[in-house]
Amino acid sequence: MKGSFSVPGDYIYFKSQVPLHKIPIGSKQWRYYDFGPKHVPPLICLPGIAGTADVYYKQIMSLSNKGYRVISVDIPRVWNHHEWIQAFEKFLDAIDVHHIHLYGTSLGGFLAQLFAQHRPRRVRSLVLSNTFLETSNFSAAMPWAPIVGWTPAFLLKRYVLTGIRDGPHEPFIADSLDFVVAQVETLSKDDLASRLSLTVDSASVGPLRLSDSLITIMDTNDFCAIPQQLKDQVTERYPGARQANLKNGGDFPFLSRPDEVNLHLQLHLRRVGVEAQPDLVQGFRQDGAGGSSSDQNDEREDERRDYTGTRNENEPPLALESPCVGNFENQILSNVDLSSDQ
Amino acid sequence: MPSRRRALLKVIILGDSGVGKTSLMNQYVNKKFSNQYKATIGADFLTKEVHFEDRLFTLQIWDTAGQERFQSLGVAFYRGADCCVLVYDVNVMKSFDNLNNWREEFLIQASPTDPENFPFVVIGNKTDVDGGNSRVVSEKKARAWCASKGNIPYFETSAKEGTNVEEAFQIIAKNALKNGEEEEIYLPDTIDVGSSSQQRSTGCEC
Repeated sequence: MKGSFSVPGDYIYFKSQVPLHKIPIGSKQWRYYDFGPKHVPPLICLPGIAGTADVYYKQIMSLSNKGYRVISVDIPRVWNHHEWIQAFEKFLDAIDVHHIHLYGTSLGGFLAQLFAQHRPRRVRSLVLSNTFLETSNFSAAMPWAPIVGWTPAFLLKRYVLTGIRDGPHEPFIADSLDFVVAQVETLSKDDLASRLSLTVDSASVGPLRLSDSLITIMDTNDFCAIPQQLKDQVTERYPGARQANLKNGGDFPFLSRPDEVNLHLQLHLRRVGVEAQPDLVQGFRQDGAGGSSSDQNDEREDERRDYTGTRNENEPPLALESPCVGNFENQILSNVDLSSDQ
Repeated sequence: MPSRRRALLKVIILGDSGVGKTSLMNQYVNKKFSNQYKATIGADFLTKEVHFEDRLFTLQIWDTAGQERFQSLGVAFYRGADCCVLVYDVNVMKSFDNLNNWREEFLIQASPTDPENFPFVVIGNKTDVDGGNSRVVSEKKARAWCASKGNIPYFETSAKEGTNVEEAFQIIAKNALKNGEEEEIYLPDTIDVGSSSQQRSTGCEC
């Protein structure tokens, strides 16, 4: 049986408040959350190979509460990076979003960079976390890539979780692992096979038109499944990027160090000129986030792109309250047993 | 061989509003000073690479909004700090009197494992103002306070003229490094993720 893990209480609350969208776009099925004021240019979270849209629930809760719009997606079933770029573009068109800020972790960071390279007009800024520039390392480590489509799901799951550090962890990192493992359990064989294909599909990130000053790198400094030399390549590629590294947090700092990650995301958004709309914070109601509401548009010519300095010239207010902000986070993270996973 | 990760040292600057925390940070990192005062909103940080004993470190220097005193900035901001810099304005008595509050605030929020020996550095800033004639806090008084708090290193600086800033931050970095290394002992070492060993996932009982 699956799903007899204990689910964090704040996740249950999140699920009860933030609607999950599932829509077919073209030939792809998209599964995503979209929460926060509709006319704020969104921060879109792209998960790694072992992630789903759900792994960013702590970012969605916290940032939407501060007046940002956060979208998080499952990587759809695409099999190479061309297909990814096209599928993601169609997704953005379908939800009527033009200018975006991407937060990508691991594989998600790689896909974020590819999209920024090939669709430079849409990507306004990047937050890259524990990620890489090219796939050759992974394809070399996976000689059986050509038969990935015929590999049984349990082997794919195990492979996807390879590299995630085993052994004793401090409680928050252990909880983040449990959460991600439970998410991987929900993935189908085809989901897993497509992600693995994306990881080994021969591709590398070319030069970006985006200025380094619009990039924040948020690596964890303790350990993660992405080899250090690959992470270093990212840092070297964008020498002018903001280094917002975390001392620790493991592979999934968005779960294990949410307050630090949220702080860095907020600082990034402020720096690149995204103005939060705290007075338009949605009540966490069922009708809160219509996935493809039509009245939104990001047509406003926010010409903040010429921003060059390291200090912000026009800072929208960033209230730095205690991390226990808002109705969500005051909740004690009590663990609740769930007997089924959906 | 996997390349070595670079140690990250986190430094927090605290002190009353207007004492020159942001200017000190900018002077040290960017070698720039602006006469225009702009209140820091919430918090922000700058990073600087430092060489020390043939090793390279990243200093992550966090600057706070002084007016948010006693209002919690949140643990995220303080977590993992390796050194705390307390800044006052030598021309404003109140900013000196408040050093104690800032220090306490830090110890409560960051709750370092060994509060007695946690590295602080005190900076008396704005020594350039009015040629030193408007100064109200004597160096002697400041040093006495530092001594009473476990011999906190003390510096007098002018962020405007860049006087002593580099020197102060060298000690800050050195003490942060000492703290960071003591902390490191309790952390597990890096692993070679390049190896192809199949690890069992935790928590999954398929």
